[in-house]
Amino acid sequence: MGAEATGIHTIPGHPEPLTPEQAGRMAQKQIKKHHVAMILLHWFNAAVWGMEVVTGMALITSEYFRVAPWWFIDMVERFFGGRANLLQFHIAVGLTWITVFLIYGVFGARTYLSKEVLDKEVALDRDDFWWMIIRTLRLLGLSKKPLPPQGSYNAGQKMFALVVYAMVPVIMVSGLIMTFHWFSTTVVGWAVVAHFVAVGVVVSGLMVHVYMAAVFPEEKPAFFSMFTGNVNELFAYHHHFKWWREYKMDEAAWKRKIAQKGAGAPDDDGASNKERD
Amino acid sequence: MPRYAMVIDLRKCIGCSACTAACSTEWDVPVGYRRTRVSHTGEIGKFPDVSASVFVDQCNHCDDPSCVKPCPTGATYQGADGIVQVDRDVCIGCGFCVEACPYDARHIDPFLKKVDKCDFCSARTARGELPACVTTCTAHAKYFGDLEDRSSEVFSMVYERGAKRIETEDVSIGPNVYYLGSERQLDLVATHYPPRQPRMPAAGEWWSQVLKPLVLTAVGATFAGQAVAFFYQLWKGEEQFEE
Repeated sequence: MGAEATGIHTIPGHPEPLTPEQAGRMAQKQIKKHHVAMILLHWFNAAVWGMEVVTGMALITSEYFRVAPWWFIDMVERFFGGRANLLQFHIAVGLTWITVFLIYGVFGARTYLSKEVLDKEVALDRDDFWWMIIRTLRLLGLSKKPLPPQGSYNAGQKMFALVVYAMVPVIMVSGLIMTFHWFSTTVVGWAVVAHFVAVGVVVSGLMVHVYMAAVFPEEKPAFFSMFTGNVNELFAYHHHFKWWREYKMDEAAWKRKIAQKGAGAPDDDGASNKERD
Repeated sequence: MPRYAMVIDLRKCIGCSACTAACSTEWDVPVGYRRTRVSHTGEIGKFPDVSASVFVDQCNHCDDPSCVKPCPTGATYQGADGIVQVDRDVCIGCGFCVEACPYDARHIDPFLKKVDKCDFCSARTARGELPACVTTCTAHAKYFGDLEDRSSEVFSMVYERGAKRIETEDVSIGPNVYYLGSERQLDLVATHYPPRQPRMPAAGEWWSQVLKPLVLTAVGATFAGQAVAFFYQLWKGEEQFEE
């Protein structure tokens, strides 16, 4: 990498080895990864999932469908003071969850759910495909190849997001069908099954998500970024190079704009900037 | 602990449906739905060899009720007194129990969208009263009591006068509604109103047979993978400096 990446031309197109000084400097610098709204939504979602999975498992008592041991079911039931309270709590939390996500969908769609954001943060590309193969081989100790550069979310996180995006509507709609007894008895019966399967699929991914974020050493900055909103630049460079590069390009553009303002240049980054480049 | 049962004397029953009306009124059962039904076999045979019988059915509060196990949320349960109850606050209206009852004694309330059935008038019996259908029966054909009480009428009818359960070889789950009648009447009723095989809806079959094992395998395999990765991480240790 060049001396100090302040100009677009000095920002590398591919990850390059860093000098200890560069790495030390980058490790000290924090860059913004998540908005406050996203952090709050993430932890609200985590709390909802914790409560709903616990109460949901305790709600299934049929010998045919039960997944939790009896001691767990009895414990949760006693905590809530009966099965009716348990179901009411499960429904109340679920409806709150749906309401919050609807509000988020209405007000945050432009910021968080635009095609541009989804293409960048959720859609899988060729690098993601190879990342998953090499990541798996590296975890098994079968490869030492470097991982392909990643965007703001790595392929694993994107895969989990895709699973969640597919399953959450199923969970919400099936929950509403059960709560309000929409359609026929047959539909309600299938809604129970769909609810169970969709939650099971997400929980499988959730276990990997929680492990990779909270326990896996290489991803710890990502975990803490869900509290602070920031990651250090070194982590971004190593784990989310494409996102880091984009950040540096934006930063360089911003610095140029500030410099132009200081020099009395016109307040637009259109023609005058292009001429300068 | 009491073990409640009902005995219906088919020889006395005149098929007036007063029991159905009393029950529906007592429990606000919507029009077109019944917790207890009165049926008639119609005339069987040719004069002078003609026979017929009235049949009154309701939830049998079976010893081994097939409706309890399929209920996902435990809304249907059997109390210590043997009465099969439905906790409507927990019922989600999936209808699995409706299909599971071999006597078709359950229905989904069209307004509440939850399951409904006879509960031997638990609220009344708790106050020391008899079920509404028993007190209303114009022919005094219905008897209710405790089979553990040797002095009760139902004890004597079941254990001394041979009141019969409506069961088949295939479906024998211990119904606690017994019938008194002539041999011919009981044969007619058993032939015309036999219990069917308990059914599980396709959703329940898929859930228990395919999807539950699949989901548990997926979650279990993920957990096992995480455990292996975690122990590998412990063994390898963490590096102070990243390359």
